[in-house]
Order: sequence, then C-alpha cells, then structure tokens
Amino acid sequence: MGPITFDRRRFVAAAAACALPRPGRATGTTFRLGLTPVFLDNDALVIEKLQSTFHLAMGRPIELVQRRTYQELTGLLLNGTVDAAWICGYPYLQHADQLHLVGVPVWRGRPLYRSYLIAAKGDTAAGLAELEGGSHAFSDPDSNSGWLVTASDLVRLGRTPEDFFDRTIFTYGHRNVVRAVASGLTRSGSVDGYVWEILAEVEPGLTGATRVVAKSEWLGFPPFAIRADRANEPATTRFAEVLRAFPEFEHGPATLRLLHLDGFAEGDDALFEGIAVRMRDVERLR
Amino acid sequence: MIRALRRVPLAIRVPAVVAVLMVLAGLVASQQVLAELKRGQEARLREIVRLHVDGLSVALGPSVLRKDVWEIYDTLDRASRAADHQRMVLTVVADGGGRILAASDPRRAPVDGDLGALAGVSAARAVDAIALDTGAEALRVMTPLLYQGRNVGSILTVLDVADLVRDRRRTVRALLAFNAAVTLTLALVGYVTIRRMMRPVAILARHMGAVGAEPAPIPDAQLPAGDTEMGRLFGTYNRMTGAIRARADAERRLFERERLVSLGRLSSSLAHEINNPLGGLLNAADTIRAYPDRPDIVRTSVELLFRGLNHMRDVAKAILDHNRLDRTGTALTTEDFEDLRLLISPELQRQAQRLDWSVEATAEDLAPYPAAPVRQAVLNLLLNASTAAGHGGCVCLSASAPDGMLKIDVSDDGPGLPDAALGRLLDGHGAGAGGGVGLGVVHDVIAELGGWIEHARSGGRTVIAVCLPPGPPQGGA
Repeated sequence: MGPITFDRRRFVAAAAACALPRPGRATGTTFRLGLTPVFLDNDALVIEKLQSTFHLAMGRPIELVQRRTYQELTGLLLNGTVDAAWICGYPYLQHADQLHLVGVPVWRGRPLYRSYLIAAKGDTAAGLAELEGGSHAFSDPDSNSGWLVTASDLVRLGRTPEDFFDRTIFTYGHRNVVRAVASGLTRSGSVDGYVWEILAEVEPGLTGATRVVAKSEWLGFPPFAIRADRANEPATTRFAEVLRAFPEFEHGPATLRLLHLDGFAEGDDALFEGIAVRMRDVERLR
Repeated sequence: MIRALRRVPLAIRVPAVVAVLMVLAGLVASQQVLAELKRGQEARLREIVRLHVDGLSVALGPSVLRKDVWEIYDTLDRASRAADHQRMVLTVVADGGGRILAASDPRRAPVDGDLGALAGVSAARAVDAIALDTGAEALRVMTPLLYQGRNVGSILTVLDVADLVRDRRRTVRALLAFNAAVTLTLALVGYVTIRRMMRPVAILARHMGAVGAEPAPIPDAQLPAGDTEMGRLFGTYNRMTGAIRARADAERRLFERERLVSLGRLSSSLAHEINNPLGGLLNAADTIRAYPDRPDIVRTSVELLFRGLNHMRDVAKAILDHNRLDRTGTALTTEDFEDLRLLISPELQRQAQRLDWSVEATAEDLAPYPAAPVRQAVLNLLLNASTAAGHGGCVCLSASAPDGMLKIDVSDDGPGLPDAALGRLLDGHGAGAGGGVGLGVVHDVIAELGGWIEHARSGGRTVIAVCLPPGPPQGGA
C-alpha cells in the first residue's frame, strides 16, 4: 500500500474528540507494531492517532516502529524486533511459511484493492505497452501494487522493467510515485490504487496532474501479520482481537475515518492468490 | 551660450543655478543610494545562494554519490517548498560529467539531460560573481557540489530576482520623484528669495533710467530699512543724482553765460559797425543842413546817407535774423552765410584781420540743414577764430558739401586752442574758464544735429571742421 495524506481539519476535529491515553491505564509490556512510510508517508499525526487507539484498545503501551522499506520492516518482524507489522501482500507471501495473518483492512466494503499504472495528465499512452522507453517510478521492490503488478505484466510481455523502461526509480512511498509522475520526473509510475483514490479526495491538485492509464485486477489488501510461532501469545492474540473489533473501541471509528477504511477483517490466504500468481510469473523469469 | 546666459536676469539665473546644483546633488545622492541598494541586494543574494547550496550539498552529497534520482528530487522538491526558497525557481543537480540527476522542476531539466545544454546555462555565474547589473528578472548561479571535500557534481540555481529588480525600479522612481519635487521646491524658494533680495537692485536700475537719460533719485519710501549695504548704496546713489543735477544746472547756466558773452561781443562790434558810419551820416546830415540850397552837395550827401542807412538796415536785418526766435525749422541758405559774413566783418575790421570766405555749397546742398543752430555754431566758431588770430591775423571759412554731407571748416593762424577749450568743443566737457567762448554751445548744437567736430593743427593753423549728415528737409527760408 502507499502513503496517505490526511485531511488535517478532519483530523483536528477527531483529535479534539479523543483524549490522549492516560499513562495510568497502560499495563503490561510495550507492544511494537511495524509500519512503513510506503504506506503512511511519515504522517506523524496519523501515527499518533493509531498509537493512541491501539493503546486504549489493548490496555498496554504501543510503539509504532517505522522503516523506510518493506524489506527492513519484514526483517524486523521476522527477527522479533516488532510484534506485528502492517506489510504488503507480496512480502507476506514471500515469507508465508513464517508469518501468520491477523487482519486485512476493508476498503469500500471489501478487503481488496488494485494497482494503478499512471502517467502525466497529458500523456496519451493507452496502456503499458505504450510507455516503453520512458522513465518509470516504482514504490518499493517488495510492494505488490508498486512493483510486482507492473513487473509481472511486463514478464507476460516477455520483458523486464530494466529493458522495457529507459530508467526506473524507487520512491519508497506511493504518494512519492504520484509526485514523481505529476512533476515529470518520470513518465509513468506504479501506484497503490487505494492511495491514489484517497489522494484524489484529499489532494486533488496532486492526482489531477496524473492520469490512470491502467488498473489491475482486484488483489488482497496489504494485511497485518505476526510471526507464525507467536500466534498464540496473549499480546498477539489481543492485537488480532482489537483489529477485528477496531470500530468498537474508543477513537476507533475516528481513526478509520482518517484512514478511509471501513474496518479490519480476519481474512485468509485465498485473498492473496492473485498476488501469488503474479509472483510465480516473475519467479519464472528469474 | 554663456554670453547668452549672462543676459538672463540675476533673479532667474541664480535660482536656475541652485536648481541645477540640486539636480546634480540629487543625481549623485541617487547614484549612491542605488549603488548601495545594489550592493546590499547582491550580498543578500549571495548569502541566500550560499546557504541554499551549502544546505543542499550536505543533504544531497550521499544521494549524488549513489545517483539516487528520487532522493535528490525529493530533497530539491521539499527545499523548494520552504518559504526561504521561494526565490529559487529552479535547482538542477548534475553529476561530475554534467549529466542531470534531478531538478526541482524535472520538465524544465529532464533527468539524464545535459546540464550544459540547458537554456541560459552559459550565462550562469559563480556565487561570488552574482551581480544585478543586467536587469534580468532571473539569475543563474552555478556552484560545485562539494561533499566530504570532493567535487561530486554541480548545482545550477535559477533565482527569481524580479522583486529585487522591481524594488530597484521603484526606488529609482521614488528617488526621481523626490528629487524632482525637492529641486522644484528649492528652485522656487531660491527664485522667490533671490527675487526679493534683488528687488533693491531692480529699483536702482529703474531709477537709473535708460542710457543717456538723467538718473532720478529714489524716493525715501522705497529706501531699504536699516543700515544695510543696499541702504548705504541707495544713499550714495541719491547723493550722486543730486550732484548730476547740480552739474547739469551749472552747465545750463554756463551755456546761457556763453551765449550772453558772445552776444555782448557781437553787440559791441555791431555798435562799432553802426557807430562808424554814424559819424559820416551825421556829417552828411549836417552838410545838407548847412547847404540846403546847393543841390549837388545835397545830392551827394543824401547818396551818402542812403548808402550808410542801407548798410545799417542790412546790419539790423542780420542781427534780427540771427536772434529771431521763430527761425527753428527754417532751412539753411547761402544768404545765412552772407549774414554771418556781415556779422563777423566789424569784429575782423576792428582787429585788422583778413577773411578768406568760400561757400561752395549750393542752396540745394544747404537745404536739408536747419539755419538757426548752424548759424549759431558757425558764428561762435568765427568769433573764437577771430579772438585766437589776434591783431592782423587771418580767419578762413569754407563750406562745402562732399559726399552728400555739409562740411564747414573754420580756421585761423592763432596759437591754437587750450586743452580745456578743446575738451569742451570736442566732448562737451571741461571747465567753463580757460578760453574759448561758446565752444560748449557749439558742441551741444552739433551733437543735437547728429554731426561731429574734428580738430586739426598744422602749418601754424588751427582748423575746426564741423561735419553734418543730411537731416530731414527743412521748411523754406
């Protein structure tokens, strides 16, 4: 998934309605949740909101740990530095044997999203094939919507991103992909459809400079995962319960509104079958 | 040009000079202000660019080494959104080979493009060479990108200096407007002040009158108050006008006296002229009374009486003609010269002097000249010549009309005119005493007729030449 720019006025209103957690209510050890700027784009206010909601819901202190890439974040999850992480379906599948799914965000009623192929507003390209020879912005080499979808589409054309595009760059943020295309730094970009749609609402000036050239099929929304061997620990179990009942907790609905999400579903691996297919296509090429 | 300026009155010249000096001072001051403004703006720009580049160098160094296009763009983009960097309209970062890595506006400087091929790059300057002398609204600055002491690339910064250029233009306009207003005000104040200061001079000039006119005293009401230079000057001037008037009165009195003197002398000689034949006439009358019955004697005596009385009638007529007041405007004739000869003859005979008389000018030549003043002047000259010639001397008159003008020479073989008399004759100046009767009158009369007098002394003779240009035709005799 990609970065979100939040509506500050709405956030301020929500923050006014939600008192910060009182230190006295915190019990137990700190629960660490990994996030990536690929998704949140360093929005300190959203992070603070998430943190306070989880804190109140779980009844213990929660630390949000941010890293620049999915790779770093996945590493922290696998080595136990973080207790849970909001990662992408692609790295989840890459380490499916070691990870356990605890929740999938529900957006517009379904735990699904799409990858968008975008170009500048005035670009006349009708599809991926017409973007050949231009420069292209990916989000993260471990992002499904920000790399895998376009890479696998090219594989199906018998091409690789490196030989299809003149130059490829990684921006480590879906909002950054939109910025790169909007500014003309690159001709096209691969971006999380959820992020692009949210940006179209809260930052229309930015997305207005871009145009969606192609949309992928519906794929599993980036999930929350824990290490499989810690699935039965009270903290992770509680975390999974909190996720699924998120709207019921204090500040839960306000936080979901900020994230433009409906809630979090339990989900299962079948949701990510589309991503798995694309992974296999790319693996074949390698 | 300068000569023409000198003809401009002081009351205008002085404020004009003040205005010109003010304009010059304004220009110099404005130049200084603008130069200082430019120096300040350039120093500010250099500081801004230096901070910008230094900050970028630190932030971009690792990304440039890695050639991380996104990181470089992201840094430039964020930097360009900072309030302090609104002046930077474009920042382009290139690697050591001049290949563009990223720019704050990728459309203007595409990734992988050639930095040297960008528009206006050749005009880019180093930070220390930043100058606002071209008036361009965009300024390009090229700086090396130093990281850890190594030159890893270059940064081209395009600065928007339109506001600075506008500031300067506004300042120029404000300075011009201010200077123009101040100059105009000072010029006006200068004009009014100098005009007031010059008012006594204008009063003085007005009372001095035109060239040749008699200066008039300045009334007390117009004298400046207090013991100022102007007050003293006016006092001196008034005393001077009094002295001039007194001198003019004296000259008038002298003129009258001279007339009376010449008249007296003339009367004396005419008395002789009448007296001389009078004895003969009385004898003839006595003879007729003694011999009334002798027709031959009576006839002879009556003849003698008739001739003598005729002569006396001629003399009386000449005197009457000479002194007739209504002769003004009567044209000069050859008869006037005959009258003069008649009038001067008794004096010459008394002194046993010889007279050479030559009137070549015709009646036509003489017609343009008025009779009365010419007769007066010539008679005075003849009387003076007779006095100078002494007993048994020689007096000459010749009247001719060369080149359309009238020239009358009166000469004598006397010892010559004393300097004082000559001064009065030629210039109208000189003491009243010192010989020469009526010479001042001669000078004034001839000057009034527009003529001039020449004096020559050669071969023991003094020649006074009166030259008269033709005037308007005079009335008949």
